[in-house]
Amino acid sequence: MASEGMHSPVEQFEIRSIVDLSAGGYDISFTNSSLFMLLAMVVGGGFLFSAMRNRELVPGRMQGAAEMMYEFVADMVRSNVGNDGRAYFPFVFTLFVFLLFGNMLGLIPYSYTFTSQIIVTFAMAGFIFLAVTLIGLFKHGLHFFSFFVPQGAPKVLIPFLIVIEVISYFVRPVSLSVRLFANMLAGHTMLKVFAGLAVMISGAGGIAMTGSLLPFLALVGLTGLEVLVAALQAYVFTILTCMYLNDALHLH
Amino acid sequence: MRRVHAWATTASVAVMATATSAAYAAGGEAGLPQLKVGTWPSQLFWLVVIFGLGYVFMARVVTPRIGSVLEERRTRLDEDLTRAREASAEAAQTRADYEASLDEARNEAAEFARNAANEAQAKADATEKKAAKKMATRIGKAETALAEARAEAESNLTAIATEAAIEAATQVAGVKPTKAQADKAVKAAAKTLVAQGVG
Repeated sequence: MASEGMHSPVEQFEIRSIVDLSAGGYDISFTNSSLFMLLAMVVGGGFLFSAMRNRELVPGRMQGAAEMMYEFVADMVRSNVGNDGRAYFPFVFTLFVFLLFGNMLGLIPYSYTFTSQIIVTFAMAGFIFLAVTLIGLFKHGLHFFSFFVPQGAPKVLIPFLIVIEVISYFVRPVSLSVRLFANMLAGHTMLKVFAGLAVMISGAGGIAMTGSLLPFLALVGLTGLEVLVAALQAYVFTILTCMYLNDALHLH
Repeated sequence: MRRVHAWATTASVAVMATATSAAYAAGGEAGLPQLKVGTWPSQLFWLVVIFGLGYVFMARVVTPRIGSVLEERRTRLDEDLTRAREASAEAAQTRADYEASLDEARNEAAEFARNAANEAQAKADATEKKAAKKMATRIGKAETALAEARAEAESNLTAIATEAAIEAATQVAGVKPTKAQADKAVKAAAKTLVAQGVG
């Protein structure tokens, strides 16, 4: 890559078609983004499926990991949503597995991180927002709107507070999607910038090559950080989904 | 919660701005590839398809399977615990029974020993009594015999002494005392002798 000079660090986010497809005038090609969505699901689902194949009473390493993942999300749903959140557990679990494996697979060099696509994260956040709002409306009817009225606030302030609450409610899908997208975008851009820097400096040749050691070491550290961010952001996205769900089911 | 939320949003927007400007500074083409709207339909389509299928797979296959394994383990553990508790209670019962029977046996043995001792004592007492009685009878008989023998000996002795006194008087003094006189004298002498402690 360095042979033709420094590439744009955002070039890695470029969508490339693998199989050209179109339907109803829209381009629905199977792309690198689609491929890694598929891989995240297949690797995640395949791991969980094969790890549980033997249904051991005393779990081995793989089954232990699969069970741990299940219990982790189950605990998250139980403690944040409560018992009536059980119906939504498969969705939350799928979401977590999808994001975790998507983020992690994205860290492998030459792979693609579909969670760095704002349209993907926004679609998920938007779906969650709509679903949660509809659940709230179905469960509580018009009483659902009391959610926007803060309890125990002075009467004079209530109109302002309602405005603030409504805004913050509608900002939810934006903040939820942008958080994941921005973290992935920034992380991968940084990795690329430092990698590019290291390669560029090493291109200088001679004693100057040792200068590339610094960005290279930074790259190693950042990679570790990105692994953490990948897991953390999958967790944050999932737990916020649980909290929104809890708000809809229990209103405050 | 709200504060964390707001903080995270601000932070991520700041990060995005930095990243975007970095992208521009690096001389990228026309901005972020993420903002090329033409790629969106394909991404949305495949997201829906893949997430949808993944959801069905997770909801139908994976989560029930893991859930059932965990449930099975929980039931099994509960069962095992119950069984262990039952076995423990049973063991305690057995032990109590054993101790009760041991106590009973001990009491029985003690009673048996006591009875045996009493019986032996009674037997010994009876034997002793019998022996004492027998002994007493024999002693009585012996005493009677002795008394008789003594009386006989005494009477014989008096007769002999009388005869001897008559004889002696006849020989020595030439008088022939009557039997009654001699007898009287002998008896008086015997009395004196007894009084002197000879008899």
